[in-house]
Amino acid sequence: MGAAQDLSILKDAFSTLDVREYGDVLQCMRCGFCLPTCPTYRTDGVETQSPRGRVAMIKAVVDGRMDPTEEFSEHMYHCLDCRNCHTVCPAGVKAGERVLEARHRIEEHRPQGVVKRLLLEYAVRDQRRLSRLLAPARLYQRAGVQALVRKYDLLKAVSAGLSHLEAIMPEIPPRPLTESIPEEIPADGKEKGRVGFFLGCAMNLLYPEASRATAWLLSRAGYTVVTPKAQQCCGAPNIEEGERRVYGEMAENNVDLFLGKRVDFVVTDCAACGNELKSYGKHLGGRKRNSRYAGAFSEKVRDVSEFLSRALGPEVPFGPLEEDACFHDPCHLCHAQGITTPPRELLRRVPGLRLSEVPDAGQCCGSAGVYNITHADRSMKILAAKVEAIGKTGAHAVVSSNPGCLLQLEYAKRRFRTDWEVVHISTILRRSLARREDKGGSE
Amino acid sequence: MTVPLARKLEELLGKEKVLSSEADRLCHSYDATPLVSHLPEVVVRASTEEDVHAVLEVAAGEGAKVTPRGSGSGLSGGSVPVDGGIVLLTTGLIRILDVDADDLSVTVEPGVITADLHAAVEAKGLFYPPDPGSMKISTIGGNVAENSGGLRAMKYGITGDYVLALDTYFVDGSKVRYGTKCVKDVAGYNLTKFLVGTEGTIGIFTKITLKLVPKPRSKKTILALYDDILAAGRTVSAIVSRKIIPSTLELMDDVTIACVEEYAKIGLPRDAAALLLIETDGHPEVVREEGAKIEEACRENGARTVRVARDAAESAELFTARRMALAALARVKPTTILEDITVPRPAIPEMMAAIREAAKKYSLRMGTFGHAGDGNLHPTCLTDERDKEEIHRVEAAYDEIFRKAIALGGTISGEHGTGMAKSKYLPMMVGPKAVEVMARIKGVFDPQGRLNPGKIFRKEAH
Repeated sequence: MGAAQDLSILKDAFSTLDVREYGDVLQCMRCGFCLPTCPTYRTDGVETQSPRGRVAMIKAVVDGRMDPTEEFSEHMYHCLDCRNCHTVCPAGVKAGERVLEARHRIEEHRPQGVVKRLLLEYAVRDQRRLSRLLAPARLYQRAGVQALVRKYDLLKAVSAGLSHLEAIMPEIPPRPLTESIPEEIPADGKEKGRVGFFLGCAMNLLYPEASRATAWLLSRAGYTVVTPKAQQCCGAPNIEEGERRVYGEMAENNVDLFLGKRVDFVVTDCAACGNELKSYGKHLGGRKRNSRYAGAFSEKVRDVSEFLSRALGPEVPFGPLEEDACFHDPCHLCHAQGITTPPRELLRRVPGLRLSEVPDAGQCCGSAGVYNITHADRSMKILAAKVEAIGKTGAHAVVSSNPGCLLQLEYAKRRFRTDWEVVHISTILRRSLARREDKGGSE
Repeated sequence: MTVPLARKLEELLGKEKVLSSEADRLCHSYDATPLVSHLPEVVVRASTEEDVHAVLEVAAGEGAKVTPRGSGSGLSGGSVPVDGGIVLLTTGLIRILDVDADDLSVTVEPGVITADLHAAVEAKGLFYPPDPGSMKISTIGGNVAENSGGLRAMKYGITGDYVLALDTYFVDGSKVRYGTKCVKDVAGYNLTKFLVGTEGTIGIFTKITLKLVPKPRSKKTILALYDDILAAGRTVSAIVSRKIIPSTLELMDDVTIACVEEYAKIGLPRDAAALLLIETDGHPEVVREEGAKIEEACRENGARTVRVARDAAESAELFTARRMALAALARVKPTTILEDITVPRPAIPEMMAAIREAAKKYSLRMGTFGHAGDGNLHPTCLTDERDKEEIHRVEAAYDEIFRKAIALGGTISGEHGTGMAKSKYLPMMVGPKAVEVMARIKGVFDPQGRLNPGKIFRKEAH
């Protein structure tokens, strides 16, 4: 958390929640239905760690019955923003969104740390900057330092936090996808339309091969794939951390850029980006410029599974993959976007792939952006429960479609020594299609 | 604020179990009851029986009030600490100690979630029937304290019908273990039966033994729509007079149907006046025969359409409307006030008419759904707590509804409890002598009135 804040200014900031937002807070009837699905209530078992508790705190602050103290701020940051509560709330209260609104009001009125500003106001604006920031980490891994550090647990002595940070660090590919993907990939066969490919920062930097597979699949489905180089971060990290100025600028940039390319759809293979892009209409609604266009842009946005489950017609031949698999629902896909069937439909089309359901499907894996760093202990408890649930399926391929989840589940592999292959849904679909085509070619 | 009480508790129980920050206190000032809340001084999360005992000892020494709380999903204000003091959470006592498949019983700690208990016993082919609407979060301890009901009450009864034995701590720190696993047990006064439904005003349970039954082998679900609520009422009587006790017999009125359709768009006719959702369970042969008779009863009594589920998926589909009822109503206005009057089955149509009249007289939007099989109705008022004038009208309307329920031989609460919300009506309901007897009993266990104060017995007007 950081510097102290001026209580009176913050109190004013909370006294002005607009009608819609306060209405949402009022709508909570405190039934408690959100408690059993909330990851933090499940780990901590206390009311302050529940959506109902968070809404009660926000309401008390707005009504002036409680001060927006440091304790209040911390509680607003305990939420993973998984939105399980949105799915179960009978009264339609969007507790997760209200928490983000509270973060915004807190952050607007307190001094921001240098690292946070560097990331949220500078780095995210440009994929190349982000990539350069990762250069030391790449060197660290390639020069063999990481192997030594991990072998002798060198960082434990320095700090437990740093050691944890090092442990969850994934292998960083040498080059981001933006460096090699063409701005325009023609449709394979007769063109059905044009899709803009929104390439999320984490996918681009950490999972370039999965995103390459996404572009390949989109082209294979008959669409020209446009990947504008000038795209900026979707802004999800900013929204999560309460930053909305740079967020707005980046969002407007993305709206202009993609609408200018005259695409029929905007597809992303990152669930968090997908949710954010779909929210532009709502989040930019109050801004003068572009607000009309933001809605039109959001209408075009599709998650990769949502898009492909329709675009890959019955004539598309899926090749066999002998695999026991399960699909881990990213929270920002199933709860924030309400998408659960399309990824399963796609995976069931792969011959030989046996798809089983994770018993606690819809529960968060504890990744949640930077939550696994800022709230490491709780994140690890949430992850342990997820690992146990996935273990019950006997799946070898753990499929998901959000880079945060992939990172967390890959870390789980190392920490809990599970025998998994953690894989993005695009990777596995491409593997299936490519296999069929190889066969077709050789026979 | 310095909190010597919190300090004492911390010394005894450790810091982790004692919650006393502003946020902790705020988040334990309410339960699911509208319009009521009060800050406690300190909250303790017990995880063992010894913790419960220690809290009661400290409270006795300090003269502090103690309000027990499970998940806080109650609807009568039963866990709201109206006099401050200590909120004692039982949510940390979560062990399922023994599922006895040979003797059909289960022994649990009070913090076990009702739905978790269902899952644990059903995995062994057994069945714990009580299914309160909040079962995914409610605790067994809370269910026993409130004597909760649910959808299956008509055939299977309510929580109290399943409690065999209880370990109970009284406010002075003493403990009584009463009851056995025996179905027949008449040793002395039946303290188990007495303690069930005392709403945390007499004691705090630390161990609960419940009776189980074999899990029914099959079930059949039927949905009937009506143009006239009286026809639905006649159908209920017709089913019962055919000597059938359905496991579920639920009713929804026109306002509720319209709200559900508005919200969920599941294809209900918006002009339907009533809906019955009926389920029968048991041996497949019996279920088939009863299903046919229920269908016949619906058709002969003027049902507009009757749908019989062919499989589990269709059954779930038919349940959708009823499952959505509260959600659909709750979205209409900011504040949702749900009551739970209960009347003898034949009086349901008259009660429904009275609810409608009260809503009209006081210009309120009120939807009613409920358990027609046991006469337990939930007139639900859609209002706004900021509109004080309307809240007065809501209170006036409920006043008339309560009076009518009593006049019809019914009760002011079927399953939510008296708590704070209905203590005003208790004397009217049971008579002053009965209230006096209750107060004397309370006085024996808790002469200083320190355990869950302000519940059941109305506070004198200030």
